[in-house]
Amino acid sequence: MVRGGMAEAGTAHSQAAESADGDTLIALRGVSRHYDRGAIAALTDIDLDIAAGDCVAIVGASGSGKSSLVNMLCGIDSPDSGTVLWRGQPVRGQRRWSDLRRLAIGIVFQEFNLIPTLTAIENVELALFGNGLSATRRLARAAVMLDRVGLEPRSHNLVTTLSGGERQRVAIARALVNQPSLLLADEPTGSLDSANASAVADLLFKLRAELGMTTVLVTHDETLAGRCARRIRIKDGRIVEDSARLAVAPSVVAEQASP
Amino acid sequence: MNLAGLALRNLKRRPVRTGLTVLGIGLAVGSALALISLSHSIKDSARAGVDEMGDDLVVMQKGASDIFGGFIADESVERVAAVPGVTRAAGELFMFAPAGGNRSVLTLGWPDGSYLWNKVPLREGRVPTAGERGVAVLGEGAAAALGKKRDDTVEILGKTFTVIGIANYTTVINRGLALLPLADLQAASMRPKQVTMIHVNAEHAKAGDIARVKDAIEGLGNLTASTANDMLSKDRNFAVLDAISLAISIIAIAIGAIYVLNALIMATQERTREIGIFAAIGWSRGRIMASIVVEGLLLYVVGCILGLGFSALAALALPYIPTIGDLVSFRPSTVLIALTLAAALALCSVGSLVPAWRAVRMSPAAALRRL
Repeated sequence: MVRGGMAEAGTAHSQAAESADGDTLIALRGVSRHYDRGAIAALTDIDLDIAAGDCVAIVGASGSGKSSLVNMLCGIDSPDSGTVLWRGQPVRGQRRWSDLRRLAIGIVFQEFNLIPTLTAIENVELALFGNGLSATRRLARAAVMLDRVGLEPRSHNLVTTLSGGERQRVAIARALVNQPSLLLADEPTGSLDSANASAVADLLFKLRAELGMTTVLVTHDETLAGRCARRIRIKDGRIVEDSARLAVAPSVVAEQASP
Repeated sequence: MNLAGLALRNLKRRPVRTGLTVLGIGLAVGSALALISLSHSIKDSARAGVDEMGDDLVVMQKGASDIFGGFIADESVERVAAVPGVTRAAGELFMFAPAGGNRSVLTLGWPDGSYLWNKVPLREGRVPTAGERGVAVLGEGAAAALGKKRDDTVEILGKTFTVIGIANYTTVINRGLALLPLADLQAASMRPKQVTMIHVNAEHAKAGDIARVKDAIEGLGNLTASTANDMLSKDRNFAVLDAISLAISIIAIAIGAIYVLNALIMATQERTREIGIFAAIGWSRGRIMASIVVEGLLLYVVGCILGLGFSALAALALPYIPTIGDLVSFRPSTVLIALTLAAALALCSVGSLVPAWRAVRMSPAAALRRL
């Protein structure tokens, strides 16, 4: 089973167009994204399969397209061309993406992206809106999640009064409170000092082990990336290395890596 | 926490932004109410003043372009009084007359012994006796504006009159009156044997009585009879005032609309990044829009309360402003308040929805990049 495709493989996506293997949670087929009216190619013809339960690190230099790739995986940005498949089905329309983000995809951002006027527990509770839970049950679930990230004692503090590490814990709690199938973490330690970065990384991997969700981690940090079973390297908007593909078809990768 | 609770927290924890937005809405509502009310107040005051006199009909010179422009001979009063169905009639000469300094006072001249004198609501003093000359009764507003009290003298049209009574009319126009014996005013204004208008009370036991009396009076020739409202509606001065009122109202509404839209659009645009966060955690466009509109409505409610407070303060303060308070009253009607609040509601909805719609149409990633 080939779970990752390098962009240089050209038309590989057309052969597998709009289909994915049975255990694939999310897949990209021929996804491209350009900015500034085409002047900047953030992603070019990306094919990628991520299986349920995978832990995938996406590495690459600044501006290589890592965050754009994550944005495609959670639908907060739309490709100019290509398709995103969720459990083998194309995801079309913002309503479908909203449902997925509310029920099945949790996102942790480098900049936390918390609502500054709300407390920690209120920020976590926000992610439970629209799930049919009463306010009491929402708060109870948010409190449990904050307890799991070690922030229960500070749950009623405004997030603006929390340290960077604590804010990222709140963001992790918010991302996981719906028990998502897929966790996307975009440079989750990028805004933290080394001690906090290490603690947050440990927390992420501990929760991943406990909850078993598929995890995609964008990072500059090779050590952190090394904690994932699969590593994808991206450069100039193209996948140039995929450890999963390397494991399955090393000759192809070696051939394509040559100039 | 629900959407209203979320909105309330957002508003409470951004006191400066919330305060400025509410102030903007309050000023818009208050100034729109004030300007529109003021623009209507002169006509409303005049209408209320005439109503307070209790006339069934007022008779003027046919073809007179405005209430100050027509003159009727004294003797016509007796002919009108003799019309079947007329219970009583009294001539009146009126004009804005210089009353010392730069002030002009709306001055009325009434005949000796007229029933009109009997209807003056005196606060103190008395009305002139038959044949008494050189005396005046001032409305409370006029007395205050001129700084006169009973037994003082007041100069009107260059003649000196002794204040013998102070009247406490309720309408602002009537509070600003000076009442003189008709003969004195005719002499001082060099309009002997002339009146401007004839007040008429008529029998109206049956439907159509007033119309028959009106027709009979107009049959006398060169006269037109109408109700006080009709008279003011046909008056050229008031037609001009109506046009000015409309213009001021349009300007007031436009200024108010710009205030409200600006306040809410700025408040919503500032939240673009937040809207991106809501979208990123899976809120639907509908829910995001609802949260913004709920916040807009909360701002609307508080802003409107503030605006009504501003206009109430203006209503209280206006009578104390010299040269304004004795001419116009400021009482926004229930209909005007309801219309203003409805317009503000529509504007607040549009002011919240338009930027919210623009924000939710943006990709969440783009919204999150906004500072």
